[in-house]
Amino acid sequence: MTMQTQPNTESFEPKIVGFLCNWCSYAGADKAGASQTPYPPNVSVIRVMCSGRVDPQFVLEAFRKGADGVMILACHPGDCHYKEGNYRAVQRHRILLQVLEEFGIEKERCKFDYVSAGEGEKFVRVITETVSSIKALGPLRLRTPVA
Amino acid sequence: MKIGLYICTCGTNISDKVDSEKLIAEVTSQFPDSYGATVEFICSAEGKSFFSEHLVANRPDRVVVAACSPREYESTFMQLVSEAGINPYFLQFVNIREQVAWVTPDPEQATRKATIAIRSAMARVLHQQPLEKTEMEASPDVLVIGAGPAGLQSALFLAEAGRKVVLVEKAPVIGGMPVLFEELFPAMECGPCLLEPVEAEVLHGDHAHNIELLLQSEIAEVTGYYGNFNVKIQQTPRYVDPMCIGCGECVEACPASTTNKFNCDMDQKKAIAIPFLGALPNLPYIDWASCLRSKGEDCQLCSDACPVPGAVCFDDKERVLDRNVGAIIVAVGSQLYDCRKLGNLGYGEVPDVYTSLEFERIAAANGPTAGEIKTSAGRAPESMAIVHCVGSLDPAHQPHCSGICCEYAFKFNRIVEHKLPGTKVYHLYKELVVAGKSDFPMLDHARKNPDASFIRFGNIAEIKVSSSDGKQAIEYRQADGQVGKLTTDMVVLCPAMVGSESSAKLASILDLSRNQAGFFDEMNGRLHAAQSTVKGIYLAGSCQAPMDIRGASTQAMAAAGYVLSGLADGKKLTIEPIVAKVDEDRCSGCRICGVVCPYKAISFDPDKHVSSVNELICHGCGTCVAACPAGAIQGNHFTNDQIFAEIEAILQ
Repeated sequence: MTMQTQPNTESFEPKIVGFLCNWCSYAGADKAGASQTPYPPNVSVIRVMCSGRVDPQFVLEAFRKGADGVMILACHPGDCHYKEGNYRAVQRHRILLQVLEEFGIEKERCKFDYVSAGEGEKFVRVITETVSSIKALGPLRLRTPVA
Repeated sequence: MKIGLYICTCGTNISDKVDSEKLIAEVTSQFPDSYGATVEFICSAEGKSFFSEHLVANRPDRVVVAACSPREYESTFMQLVSEAGINPYFLQFVNIREQVAWVTPDPEQATRKATIAIRSAMARVLHQQPLEKTEMEASPDVLVIGAGPAGLQSALFLAEAGRKVVLVEKAPVIGGMPVLFEELFPAMECGPCLLEPVEAEVLHGDHAHNIELLLQSEIAEVTGYYGNFNVKIQQTPRYVDPMCIGCGECVEACPASTTNKFNCDMDQKKAIAIPFLGALPNLPYIDWASCLRSKGEDCQLCSDACPVPGAVCFDDKERVLDRNVGAIIVAVGSQLYDCRKLGNLGYGEVPDVYTSLEFERIAAANGPTAGEIKTSAGRAPESMAIVHCVGSLDPAHQPHCSGICCEYAFKFNRIVEHKLPGTKVYHLYKELVVAGKSDFPMLDHARKNPDASFIRFGNIAEIKVSSSDGKQAIEYRQADGQVGKLTTDMVVLCPAMVGSESSAKLASILDLSRNQAGFFDEMNGRLHAAQSTVKGIYLAGSCQAPMDIRGASTQAMAAAGYVLSGLADGKKLTIEPIVAKVDEDRCSGCRICGVVCPYKAISFDPDKHVSSVNELICHGCGTCVAACPAGAIQGNHFTNDQIFAEIEAILQ
C-alpha cells in the first residue's frame, strides 16, 4: 500500500455505496432514522431484497466508478428472510476481499456486517466507524483500472 | 423519457433539512423531460389526490416519489400509480426522511445526500420494466400424511370447511401413538376417550364424505408444486373388505401368530387381527408375511369362520393411486431415541428395562398384560426406577429437551401409585421440565407421593444398570458427586423424541430439510412454524418438533388455516412478479443456481440442458441472480442494469 499519499482526513469526504437488504439492515437504518440519531452522510444506500443479491460485480463496479468504500449489510446469521442469502453474501465477501487485494484495494474499504431490523444503534455505529476508517485511508487511487 | 418527481415535505420533517426546490432544479436539469413537484404530506388524503391528478394530467413515463421509508408507503403509491394507468413497477420510492432528513443535522449535507439518492432513483427508474402479477389455477384439495392427532384434526377441520382431503396413513388403524395410551397428562383422561370421538368423526361424521382415508398407504412420489402437486400413493392390501362387521370370528379361527407391533412386540397376535381392542376402523387386517397362505399353504380358516361372505378377500392387490392436490400437510409424528445407544442403561439386555412407550402399553387395559403392571416373571414390582432425559440434553446424543417426558414420567408415577400402592418410584433425572399453565400439578403430585424419590444425575453415562438376581442393580453418580446404588424390579426409560423413519423417507420425496434430530425445518421457527421449507407443504404435530397432543392439535389447525387462506376454492394463485428468470440462450446448464436457491424453486431440464425458475415457488431474493456465472438469470425489478445505473448515478 505504498501508492497512496498521506490523506488529509479533515477535508476528505469519502463516497461510500451501501448495499442494504430490505428486511433487516434497511429496517435497521430506518430505526436509526426514527430515533433521529445523526451519523455521517457519506453512505448512499442501494436497497436489495436480500444481501444474497449483491453480485461481486456491483462492488467492483462501485470501486471502478470512484467509490472510496462499499458496505454490505445483512441480516444476522439465522435471521435471513430468505433463510440463507446472508450466508451466500458473507462467503462471497470473503472471496471478494482477496480479489480486491489483488487490485490494491484495502479490505477495510469493503465492509460486511450484520444489522438487524431492531439495531438502529448498531447501524449508526457501523456507518460511523466505516466512514472514519475510510477517511483515515484517504481517497481510493486504483493502481490499474478494475476491468 | 418523462420522469415525474414528487418530493414530500412531511410537514417540516423533510423540508427543515432538505431544500426540495434546489434539489428539483439540480436533478431535473440532468434528466431532460423530467419535472419535479413539492407536495406537503403526500401520504395525506389531499396529498394523494394531488399526486393522482398530477399523474393523470402530466402522464409521466416513470415516477419517483421521495418521502419516508418505502417500507411504509411504497405499496400505497404503487397502487395510486397503477390507478393512474401507469405500470406500478415504473415507480421508484426514495427514503429521504428516515435515512436523510432525520439523521443529517446539517441542511446542506442533507440536501446533498437527498440529491444523490434521488438522482440514483431517477437513473434507475429509466431501466425499470413493466411487470404484472399473473394468476394460476390451483387445486383446493389437500393431502394429509399421517392420521395421528395432528393429521386427524387438520383433515377434519378442512373437511368441515368443505375441502376434499386425501388422508394417508401407513398403519392399518388411525389415531397415531396416543390412542395406545391408557391415560394422558395433565388431566389423566383416557387416550381413546379423547381421540375416539375425533376418529369417529373422520370415519363416519357429517363431513366424512370429504375425507378419502387410505390406510396401509405410503407416499411413493410427489411431483409438481404449490397449487398442483401430483401424488403417487402406494397401498398394501388389507385382505379384508370394509363390508366386514368387525366381529372378530376370523381372529379366533386363525392358526398363525406373529409378534404384535402394537404392543411393541411384547406379545403375539394372530396373522389376521384387529390391531388392538378399540382400534378404528374396527376392521381386522392380514399380516401377509405371517399368514400361512404366503407360505404356500391353502389355509382359509378365517374366511370359513367369517359370517359375511366376501369380507375376507385373499385376492386383494397392492394398489397405486394418483391424486392431484393443491397443498400437503405432513403429520407423520416422531419416534423415541434408540435406547440401545445408551448401552449402560441395559435396554435390550437386562430384563424388565422398558421404554416409556412399552410401559404405556403395559399400563393399558388393551395392552399385552391387560393393564396389569408386572415384571417378566409375573410379579407386581415393589420398586421402579423411571429414568428421565435418556439421550436428551446430552451433546453425546440429542441436545434438545423433548418437553413432554417429565410429564408422562409423573403420569407413570400416578398410575403406579394408583394401581400398586406402596411401590417405590425413583425418578432419576437431569432436569425437570413442566412448563405450561396446567402442568405443574403433575410434578407436585409426584413429589407428594410418599413412595417417590428424586435423584438428580449429572451425566447419564454415569448410570449403570445391570442384572442382579432377577432385579436391576442401578449404580449412579448424582449431580453433586455423591454415588449411590438402587435395586429395582422394573426400569422405565424416557428417551428423547426424534424424527421418525417415515419423516426421513418423506424428506427426500418432498425435498424437505430436517434438523440433526430428524425434525422437519420450518419456514421460520417463530412466525411460520407450521410451514415447511417448501411452499405449499405444511407441518403439523411432532414431526416438526417434540410436542404433546395439545401442541399437535393447535399446529394442525394452523396448517389447515394456511391451506384455507392460501388456496380458497375457485381462487387463482397470484404469482408475484419480483422473481428470477433464466435466459435459456445464455444458460450453460452448470446448475449453480439450483444449489444456492433456498426454496428449491429451480429445476433443471436435462433435455435442453438449462435451468428454469418456478415463479410460483421463487421468493425473489436474487441469490441465484448473483450466483449465475453466465449472467443468464435476471432478477425482476432488481436487474443488473437497474443496480448498475444506481451505482453510476451515486458516484457521478
